[in-house]
Amino acid sequence: KDKSAASKDSTPEGAAKRREDGAETPKQQLLDIIGSMKVEVSYRKKLQQLKASENKKQAMNKLEGPDSEGSVPQGITEDTQRGKPLNPELVKAASAVASSLPHNKKQTESELLAQLRRHEETTDKQKKGGTINLRNVISEMAVKRQSPAQRSARISGRISLHLDEDGRRIRPERSSAQSMDSRRSLKVGKRLNIFTKASTEPEHALKTVSSPTIWDLEFAKEVAAVTAQPPRNGFEEMIQWTKEGILWEFPIDNEVGMEDDAEFHEHIFLEKHLEGFPKEGPVRHFMELVICGLSKNPYLSVKQKVEHIEWFQKYFEEKKELLQEI
Amino acid sequence: MAAAALCWALRAAQQVLPSPCPRQVRGYYVDWRMLRDVKRRKMAFEHADERLRINAIRKNSILPKELQEVADKEIAALPRDSCPVRIRNRCVLTSRPRGVKRRWRLSRIVFRHFADHAQMSGVQRAMW
Repeated sequence: KDKSAASKDSTPEGAAKRREDGAETPKQQLLDIIGSMKVEVSYRKKLQQLKASENKKQAMNKLEGPDSEGSVPQGITEDTQRGKPLNPELVKAASAVASSLPHNKKQTESELLAQLRRHEETTDKQKKGGTINLRNVISEMAVKRQSPAQRSARISGRISLHLDEDGRRIRPERSSAQSMDSRRSLKVGKRLNIFTKASTEPEHALKTVSSPTIWDLEFAKEVAAVTAQPPRNGFEEMIQWTKEGILWEFPIDNEVGMEDDAEFHEHIFLEKHLEGFPKEGPVRHFMELVICGLSKNPYLSVKQKVEHIEWFQKYFEEKKELLQEI
Repeated sequence: MAAAALCWALRAAQQVLPSPCPRQVRGYYVDWRMLRDVKRRKMAFEHADERLRINAIRKNSILPKELQEVADKEIAALPRDSCPVRIRNRCVLTSRPRGVKRRWRLSRIVFRHFADHAQMSGVQRAMW
């Protein structure tokens, strides 16, 4: 308890010293510590390192470490009494966190260390249960062997035309599992070279010029007539209607037809379109009112607004003689 | 390339030959009055912009009156069916000119018929 009192005095002094230094605030120290801590994947190495470092730490303790870590050796001795070694870096970090917090530093530090201890215990329990080495698990799994007759039957089943609602080909779900097992057997073996790679470039160049012949059209019509099955239920009917454009697409998009790419300034600042009009007079006044109204209209596209203004321009040019009489 | 050509041919074929699956297609309007109403709506849509602009010149206190008189004559010269006032909101199914609710575009009798057979979504008999 004397030690604790001494350390309590030392930590505020140490903290004060640190603040007086100005170079590193306790927060900065904490950040440095956390930043230097690396995430380690395998816990076994960590344990070994921990034991090695703990021996070193105990050796250092005998030599009396620096002031700021006055509370740390005490923390470590406490932990070793419990029989469970904690990572000294974590302990350092915990002490730094505790010192940065405004409340009772000793209490927070002890709480943090208790938390750390609990974490270590749970991880140790898991480790003692047995290492879950993924490689062992996979190696133990055996590949299922199938008879060639069964395999051929499944392949033929896969090739059959199973038309879905959309007319797309959909394999039955079970085929995916089969493919996993028989993948090795499919790709193993010599290539037969029955199907050569299609060298299509020269053919493409030839076929672009000729338009589809009547026979092609007939064939296309036949194909369309055969594949267009009547809808089996209401859903398919609705799908067909949506494709044809009779039914809207849900969720309803309010801006389906509109693709207004214009920015807001093109909608509002329409004075540049007024260049064809006389600068003064009732016509100009009228057109300025028109522009004011158009700029406030959110429902028209920029093209429509410009069309309005151009119509007025044409109209007033036609009536120029009339206007000059007045 | 063969695939693309076939696609194009397919699309052309679909336009030429409609799919043979049975579907009710409304080729006739209920009566001639409905047809005339449809024609009026189409014309009104075509001339809507012009009418709007000429009316903007007419209903004006800034432009000179002579100009407005000329505009009056112009708008009178437009075809008679192009004005929106001549459109009558008829019932869509029976072409009844009166007793038509705007939201459903149906006459009151048809509306009642469908509502009683629970074919109007969200419509219920009032009771309070």
